[in-house]
Amino acid sequence: MEFSEHIKTANVEDVVLQQPLHPPSKGTLCITSHHLLFSDREEDSGRQVLLLLRNIDAVEKSSVENLVNYFGLFPNAGRSDRATESSGTLVIKCKDLRVLQLEIPGMEQCLNIAQSIETLSCLACVAEMYPFFYRPSNASLRDQWGLSTPERHYTEMEALHERWRLSTVNQDYSVCPSYPPAVIVPKAIGDDALKMAAKFRQGGRFPVLCYYHRKNGMVILRSSQPLTGANRKRCIQDELLLQAAIEGSDKGYIIDTRSAQQAQQARMMGGGFESKSCYSSWKRLHRHMERGKTLQESLIKLVEACGDKSPNMDRWLSKLENSKWLSHVQTALSTAGLLAECVERDGRSVLVHGSEGTGSTLLISTLAQLIMDPSCRTLEGFLTLLEREFVQQECPVFLLLLDCVWQLWYQFPLALGFSEALLLRLATEAYSSDYGTFLCNSDMERCALQVKGKTHCLFRVLLKPREREQYTNPLYEPNELAIWPSVHPQSLQLWRGFFLRWTQQTLHLELVQEDIRNMVIEWGKLALS
Amino acid sequence: MASPVSVYNSNVLDAHISSTSRESLKMELLADVTLLPGEERIIDKDIIYICPFSGAVKGKVLITNYRLYFKSSDADVAVTLDVPLGTISRVEKMGGVSSRGENSYGLDITCKDMRNLRFALKQEGHSRRDIFELLFKHAFPISHGLPLFAYVTQEKYEENGWSVYRPVEELRRQNYELCDTYPAVLAVPFKCKEEDLRRVASFRSRGRIPVLSWIHRENRAAIARCSQPLVGMSGKRNKDDERYLDLIRDANDTAKLTIYDARPNVNAVANKATGGGYEGDEYHNAELVFLDIHNIHVMRESLKKLKDIVYPNVEESHWLSSLESTHWLEHIKLVLSGAIQVADKVSSGNSVVVHCSDGWDRTAQLTSLAMLMLDSHYRTLKGLQVLIEKEWISFGHKFTSRIGHGDKNHADQDRSPIFVQFMDCVWQMSKQFPTAFEFNERLLLTILEHLYSCRFGTFLYNCESAREQNALRQKTVSLWSLVNSKTDVYLNPFYTPESGRVLYPVASMRHLELWVTYYIRWNPRIRQQQSPVEQRYLELLALRDEYIKKLEELRLSDSSRLADDSPGADTSSPSPASSPTRQRHYTHLHTPF
Repeated sequence: MEFSEHIKTANVEDVVLQQPLHPPSKGTLCITSHHLLFSDREEDSGRQVLLLLRNIDAVEKSSVENLVNYFGLFPNAGRSDRATESSGTLVIKCKDLRVLQLEIPGMEQCLNIAQSIETLSCLACVAEMYPFFYRPSNASLRDQWGLSTPERHYTEMEALHERWRLSTVNQDYSVCPSYPPAVIVPKAIGDDALKMAAKFRQGGRFPVLCYYHRKNGMVILRSSQPLTGANRKRCIQDELLLQAAIEGSDKGYIIDTRSAQQAQQARMMGGGFESKSCYSSWKRLHRHMERGKTLQESLIKLVEACGDKSPNMDRWLSKLENSKWLSHVQTALSTAGLLAECVERDGRSVLVHGSEGTGSTLLISTLAQLIMDPSCRTLEGFLTLLEREFVQQECPVFLLLLDCVWQLWYQFPLALGFSEALLLRLATEAYSSDYGTFLCNSDMERCALQVKGKTHCLFRVLLKPREREQYTNPLYEPNELAIWPSVHPQSLQLWRGFFLRWTQQTLHLELVQEDIRNMVIEWGKLALS
Repeated sequence: MASPVSVYNSNVLDAHISSTSRESLKMELLADVTLLPGEERIIDKDIIYICPFSGAVKGKVLITNYRLYFKSSDADVAVTLDVPLGTISRVEKMGGVSSRGENSYGLDITCKDMRNLRFALKQEGHSRRDIFELLFKHAFPISHGLPLFAYVTQEKYEENGWSVYRPVEELRRQNYELCDTYPAVLAVPFKCKEEDLRRVASFRSRGRIPVLSWIHRENRAAIARCSQPLVGMSGKRNKDDERYLDLIRDANDTAKLTIYDARPNVNAVANKATGGGYEGDEYHNAELVFLDIHNIHVMRESLKKLKDIVYPNVEESHWLSSLESTHWLEHIKLVLSGAIQVADKVSSGNSVVVHCSDGWDRTAQLTSLAMLMLDSHYRTLKGLQVLIEKEWISFGHKFTSRIGHGDKNHADQDRSPIFVQFMDCVWQMSKQFPTAFEFNERLLLTILEHLYSCRFGTFLYNCESAREQNALRQKTVSLWSLVNSKTDVYLNPFYTPESGRVLYPVASMRHLELWVTYYIRWNPRIRQQQSPVEQRYLELLALRDEYIKKLEELRLSDSSRLADDSPGADTSSPSPASSPTRQRHYTHLHTPF
């Protein structure tokens, strides 16, 4: 295997590891193709750290001889140790926000290790990633993969069948490479029209149904932007498709996740928006949502502020504010709230899109479903929702989604069937995982790499009885009503469980949550027996 | 009382209906007020409530000798206000007869509990004169020679809250044998040489000599509290005081006594100019630590700033930096971290003395919070009551001055939210340790509601002597009577007692939160899901009780089968303590110093 080319030094003895919440320890460091393994030298402590290299975000080298510090930590270390050559220090910053420090004796070994980590942690080739090698003894690759399918989703919603059909126009991913092979579309629109509409939408993402509101029969559709361009091109099939979606109703809403100005500017690049004259039954609402780079920068600022170790943490609240992360949370929740309001309160169907229709579009359509639909709020329902709407690789929007869901959980402690622990697990797995669930950005890519045949499915594992119990919310009470989040900044909190995860206090609260859950389960078992 | 309402009322319907049917209309609108025994109607009136959230709301206001109650008459905007008059800090007239603009003539009411109320009346015929005068009179009874409502109410409860705190029993609980190992300090009021004591008292501000607050069961380290020494500019000394403090140190044989001065260093120095000061090098075997907590004026202004950004409108665009600039959370942090230092010192076996200037504000915060950290008893429902009775009420936190009960002088510089700040700290701790407290947030909110209401005698007067003079315990009801007669609603279902565990909260800005459910509770848009959660808690409490009952049954049937070889057979019945969770042994959280 070519991994070995990247490993010049596989083992180093007498490495000192410092990690949050633990005293420093000395032991053996080992680099494998996918893991960093550290085993404590003290036999009775038996401590091991197994870290997926994929989890590593950055390695910082410092060649400073750290002998003083070294002997400070181990005052009884023998004199002979002092003779060892200079050591190097690696600071390893992980995607789950952990920061590890390794002191490695021998500069050369240190540099070798650093290089291996740098190369192996960002392998571009998905097929070489760990999920393709992970083979737990208690699971078989023949186990069912995934929780649902578009077909099943369609079959389950019978009320839909009168006006909507399942189209396999994208069976071979030729119409839209980023869509699944089957999608739900208005019955009145044939596959040929869909193909035309797809050509009129960026990346072929023509409007498809993603949610059917049982209470009033309204739907949420999503798509990418129409390719009207500077010349105001039209596509009659696209117009008919949208008209068919609101048949029997006089009006629908379009929520564009860009500002009106941005949408205008997009025309210069060949994109655009649905003009009033061509889509007369649709009312456009623009809500500017930050994406991509801005979001990433905001996240970096926040993580920096949270990781600031200086004892004088002056102006913490200002730093938090300056990161703007919470205002992105606010925008996401309020736009999702708007979407839910259109559907539930105004009784209108809504089309959501931004540019590509893959980032903020999915974010708010997912959140709106959680707000309105009680069946999405169970553990299984939530994972199915994620699988249907939102499985993507390493993206800050996914973290933003989890943060928003956490805010819902915080504001409605009884409404969600799952716990903060699940959100934390998902936040970790999304960035580095033993499972194939978060690999690739589309069904087509997953299909090409045979993800479903060659990796294990995280969601299925999370639903196994033992894991399931671990992620239930002990306070959960099914509730048919919509849960309208308060989006005032006073109501939004920093998700400490994630962002301040590697602190004593957060660890302690995690354990307490676990205790509470076990408590309630135990009461129930005996009291109701 | 003949109501003059109809005379000025432009409501044609109302003006023409007979007084009996008007009575019934009134009844209908105000039907859901249940008056307390002893509560009497003073006046009611049609009025417009200028609600900051729903706009102008027509309705009816009822003023009794206990409350101001408003209910909207329009079914579409259901607005109800139920404000104990004790909560009112200031009543002002707004606008004049000639003021222009809609709803510009009326009353402006400033409350002590983070809200203001504004009412509009018809401009014709001095329509607000009677209500203003009556409200002013009954909101500030002390300024008008009237009794506080606590002296009027006829409420009866199953439990008698006045018996919650018995000083001698409380000392026994701390394993302190009277007149045993620590005579010099505790025996002070009875036994110590009168003369020595008098000399110490003469050297402490307002005679507040160091007295015992709490003593550690095992290591016998003590928390003593007092006021500042009267060192003055000339650096006076007092041998008796020095000896007295050394006796406290000596009580458990520690090498060094730590004196915590709650004030910032500069303030302590400045106090010398007015005759006060702090302990100098002449106190051998003692170290002095300043805790940098600011005085009552700083705290008052800080909370005022907080109110400005949460009521009536919440600051939207720069919420976090605005919150930061109130410094409220920073003050909370300093109080908590001061208490952590005290607790940590005591738990490592060293006795401490805590004081500020007079020893009734910051000192009370520090000792009571440290005790809450050190002694799990105070984390129970009854224990918190004892803690408040002991460290706050009996040791003379000046509730009347700090709250201004029944007093019209709203700008009194003695007013300050010191006790609110303490409750906030307790809340922060309960957030950080969700299973360590037997009581829930509802209890804290209830205590704060009645801190102002004057319905109970608990928070009246500045000190014990005034309470005795006014026969408080005989003539008023204790807040704890209310609480202890219906405990369910105040209980935390997840409470898991761990006696002996010291709780060190994290006093870092990152882990502190604004107590939104208290400070911003009047804003309907911010309100969190309180009542369903409380309902769920009650269900869980019932489930827990059922569990404990079944467990007990199982245990009984087990022990009858196993007869004598069961080791647990003679232990007391399982409290909620014993079992609901597997016991986890936490390492204590490390504090940031």
